[in-house]
Amino acid sequence: MKKMLAILTVAMVSMMMLAISCEKPEPEPEPEPEPVVKDYNFDLFVCAVKHGGMSKNKNGTYVRSVPALTADQPRVEFTGKGIDITEDYTLESITRGKYYYQVPQRATGGFVKFHIERNAAGEERIVEDAEVPFKDNVYSARKYTHAWIGDSTSLVIVGTADKATKIIWSKLSESNLAVQSEGTFDISLPEGYSSFSTAGLLTYRKSDKKLYYFYLTKAAEGMVDAATSVTHIAVIDPATMKVESDTAVPAGVMEETAGSAYGELMQSMIMYDEADNMYVAGMITLNDQEMGILRRIPAGSKTFDASWNGFPNPEGKLLTIQYLGNGRALCYSRDESLGTKIDSKSHFYSIINLANGSRERVKYNGTDLQYCGGRFSQRSVVVNGKAYIGVGGEVEGEAEATYPTIYIYDCKTGTVEKGVELSKGFCFDIIRAMDAQ
Amino acid sequence: MRFRRIWMSLVSLLGCIVPLLGQDSLSVRGALDDTLMLRNSTVTARSREQKLREGAFAVGALNIRLQASTLQSLTQAIDRTAGIRIREEGGVGSEFDLSINGMSGNSIRYFLDGMPLDAKGTGMTLANLPVNIIDRVEIYKGVIPASFGSDALGGAVNIITNRRNRNYLDFSYGFGSFHTHKADFNAQYTGKKTGIILKPVISASYSKNNYIMRDVKVRNEEHTAFVIKDLPRFHDDYLSLFGQLEAGVADRSWADAFFVSASVAMIDKDIQTGATQDHVIGMAERHSRAVNVAARYEKADFLTEGLQLLATVSQTWDHSQTIDTTYRRYYWDGTYIDGSYSEIRGRGKTWRHYRRPLTVVRANLNYRFAEGHDLALNYLLNRAGNRQEDAWDTEFEPTSDMLAKHIISLSYDQSLLGGRLNNAFFVKDFVNHLKIGQRELPSTTGADKVTGSDTQNYLGGGVGSRYLFLDELAVKGSYEHSIRLPISREVLGNGSTIYANVALKPEISENFNLGLFGTFDLGGGHTISYEANGFVRLVDNYIRATVLETESMMQYVNVDAVHIKGVDGEIRYDWAGKLHIAANASYDDSRDMRKYTQSGDLSVTYRNRTPNRPWAYANTEVSYTFHQVGLRDSRLRLSCDYQWVHWFYLTWEAFGSAGTKSKVPSQHITNASLLYSWRGGRYNLSLECTNLLNALAFDNYRLQKPGRAFFLKFRLFL
Repeated sequence: MKKMLAILTVAMVSMMMLAISCEKPEPEPEPEPEPVVKDYNFDLFVCAVKHGGMSKNKNGTYVRSVPALTADQPRVEFTGKGIDITEDYTLESITRGKYYYQVPQRATGGFVKFHIERNAAGEERIVEDAEVPFKDNVYSARKYTHAWIGDSTSLVIVGTADKATKIIWSKLSESNLAVQSEGTFDISLPEGYSSFSTAGLLTYRKSDKKLYYFYLTKAAEGMVDAATSVTHIAVIDPATMKVESDTAVPAGVMEETAGSAYGELMQSMIMYDEADNMYVAGMITLNDQEMGILRRIPAGSKTFDASWNGFPNPEGKLLTIQYLGNGRALCYSRDESLGTKIDSKSHFYSIINLANGSRERVKYNGTDLQYCGGRFSQRSVVVNGKAYIGVGGEVEGEAEATYPTIYIYDCKTGTVEKGVELSKGFCFDIIRAMDAQ
Repeated sequence: MRFRRIWMSLVSLLGCIVPLLGQDSLSVRGALDDTLMLRNSTVTARSREQKLREGAFAVGALNIRLQASTLQSLTQAIDRTAGIRIREEGGVGSEFDLSINGMSGNSIRYFLDGMPLDAKGTGMTLANLPVNIIDRVEIYKGVIPASFGSDALGGAVNIITNRRNRNYLDFSYGFGSFHTHKADFNAQYTGKKTGIILKPVISASYSKNNYIMRDVKVRNEEHTAFVIKDLPRFHDDYLSLFGQLEAGVADRSWADAFFVSASVAMIDKDIQTGATQDHVIGMAERHSRAVNVAARYEKADFLTEGLQLLATVSQTWDHSQTIDTTYRRYYWDGTYIDGSYSEIRGRGKTWRHYRRPLTVVRANLNYRFAEGHDLALNYLLNRAGNRQEDAWDTEFEPTSDMLAKHIISLSYDQSLLGGRLNNAFFVKDFVNHLKIGQRELPSTTGADKVTGSDTQNYLGGGVGSRYLFLDELAVKGSYEHSIRLPISREVLGNGSTIYANVALKPEISENFNLGLFGTFDLGGGHTISYEANGFVRLVDNYIRATVLETESMMQYVNVDAVHIKGVDGEIRYDWAGKLHIAANASYDDSRDMRKYTQSGDLSVTYRNRTPNRPWAYANTEVSYTFHQVGLRDSRLRLSCDYQWVHWFYLTWEAFGSAGTKSKVPSQHITNASLLYSWRGGRYNLSLECTNLLNALAFDNYRLQKPGRAFFLKFRLFL
């Protein structure tokens, strides 16, 4: 009996405690941390006559650096203003903080680090911070891929050599570009394949502190049908630069990654979500046509989740992806039926819901943002909780009336407002957000 | 080393030939006669140039014979002409681009005695043609007489070689800075019994071109940073050899002249830089070999009185190679890193062979049906093959194409009012026949529109007129609706980096010239002559290279092009053949007239000044000749000239702030020369200093030209 009473007492106390605890008012939900608002300059790159990227545009490449992209800003003019980078620097570049890093157009045989400075009158100029020669590995302008490792004090550059039959790497110091170490990956061409992709795609995943190198093995050098290529994922220890694993991706999952020739020097093809899932833009052949595909490597895994596709029923190639937060991504893709040339007005912006793969054109005032030219353009940047989306100014039949315009997408609310305009007639190619300090 | 051996052998050979010819075939008397003739021909040639300038067309005329004793190359003289600008990439044998009134490149055609200069081989240019064989140069600006049967758009350069009536021997040897050596030999010998005339020409030039490159970046000793240094070029050797033998007869009942000739040209060229001097090359080479055989027939009163026939036929076998088989990345100190890409193409290794057989047939029939009235019918066939193969790249598929042009023209020249009024009218018919073997990428190359072969026909024509009010004032004007047919590279591509565009249309231009000229005789041997020209070129269907989306692939396409307006002028003062002062200036304004881009977008460059071309430049020249200085029948000529080129932007001038833009800087080049001739011009010794003030000079962006250089030349004319 005593035993029963004891059990009853314990049970009652427990129930009371539970009741008390249940009655306790729910704690206030932790407010979502406000995104750290940084002070940026926006560098806007335009080309004359034709869109740039991938080719050496001899018609001129110009850049303006402006403090804001909101509609209250004066129209961004390039006549008599901005920097003419045509002969010295490539449109394609690595950026971090306020600095640019690249193998320059002027081909002096090394790497260069520079930043854009603006004086009180708003006039820009380029200031070179470092220039170092190649050590043993030689890279060509635009033909390499990169990743920042560790606490971003080191920059890894990867390219190919000997007619794209060897994959070389160099590790550089961020501060002065000194070559810390170099080598060649222990990756060889399988039987039946004659070359690797020109550059491939390199990325660093923080959660497992590994470098992921996506590369292609191809039946011939240069551009070939995606269906004849095989995508590989090499996992690399950034400390030793040893290849820890190298896996071929089944053709049904992805035939080619996007941007295999010039990495992410211009366009963003890899993104991570809050859980460090990695998303990679690629290509697959559907009905004899190369179409975009978006695959995911879940956090903790080293291979694609073949069951997941973030870009179903594609209209064409998927060109750039950028993570917006909350399971959404901004993508820039092409509708093949509207044209496949660099300047074809067949490129458009959509928001992808990564939870279910649905996507919707970005709209302003209920109307889709217009199609624009620029196969190799990166006219969008995501900072301070906003995506700044640039749209080329030319509208069919209204070429003389329209200006390139930036639209500002609020990542939290999904609203779109109109931003600053650029002077018309130029091929608007890149927006880069650079630290103002 | 190989160059040096060849060079030494050649100099030895010439050393043997000169005394032999001098002893066996030429007498002292003959030499003296020739001396007199040289003097006389000086006067004759000069009046010929004056006559040409006073014609209906806009022409620049240069007497080269007078300058041959000092000149290193023809380009030096032509570059000082009003409206002409030559842009050189480097030293001896470097690539150059000549512009006439703002138009350049393929728009300009070159002729040697009326035949396309290409016939001597693609490597033979104004830069390496032996100067001693040239009598004069005619530069036609915009409007080109029908007699050339040419499809040039912007102008033509016609080089006239010496035509002497008696035996002679002309030998020169010079050497100078940067290990430069030049030797020219030409002669004429007429067999006493047979009357057969032999005209041998041998020419050789060699240079290491190792001039100092200033402020170039090289690695420090640890190879961890760049340092700035002045260093010599180290891979720019150039060797050019040319030999020709012409044999024939003159003044026969059946021919005023009938000559056959055979020539061989050989050029070896190291390549030192890419498009700019930042791209240093240390191993790649180009070689060119060409063999030409030709025949020329001239007859006045052919078939009937007043009918003159000039017929020439020429066949050339041209073989050039570009060797780019090294994966190295060079620096200016000659060090290198074993790299990943070939030096020129930046891709895989290649050893490309280009075989371009060329057939040229030209016939001119000129009929003078009344005094001052000439009717001429001209025909020109130009058939070029284009075969490519690669000795290194096994993946390269050989290509073979052919392009033939037939140009027929009819002209009528009249001289009225006692020669005060000259008029010229002409029409030209251009037939372009294309035969293509390649069927790759038909939608890109247009091969789906052209089935195997294609023939197109185009018409052009023009008029020129000159009226002489007084000796001090004459006016002339000319107009041509001109056509330039695409060349094989533009239509057929190059099999590697340039796609064919078999649907390419010819360039069309409306060319207008208006000029004034005259001569004031002030008495006492003082004369002042002047000329001033205005011109307009309205070019459409301009053939422009565009970069396609596939990396590094190019294609020539037609676009609305440029409108060029400009003026040039020259004033010359002469006092008794002793003091000579000349000055000229040129200005042109070239605007891009493409309103829309290929994709239909508004072109931001519409009406902008065309970039990367000089638009204002001037030359002045002063010379003074002393007679009887030291030796008998001697003269001493001192001359100095100054060239100025206004700086220009590399890219469109309107965009970007001025301080950030790439520019080709202004040039201020001063040259000086001294020529001492004795025994009536039989012996000539000259010393020339180019770029006397050692100015840093660029014709092209980041392609530094040589600094101060000296050249000593001895010329023997017997």
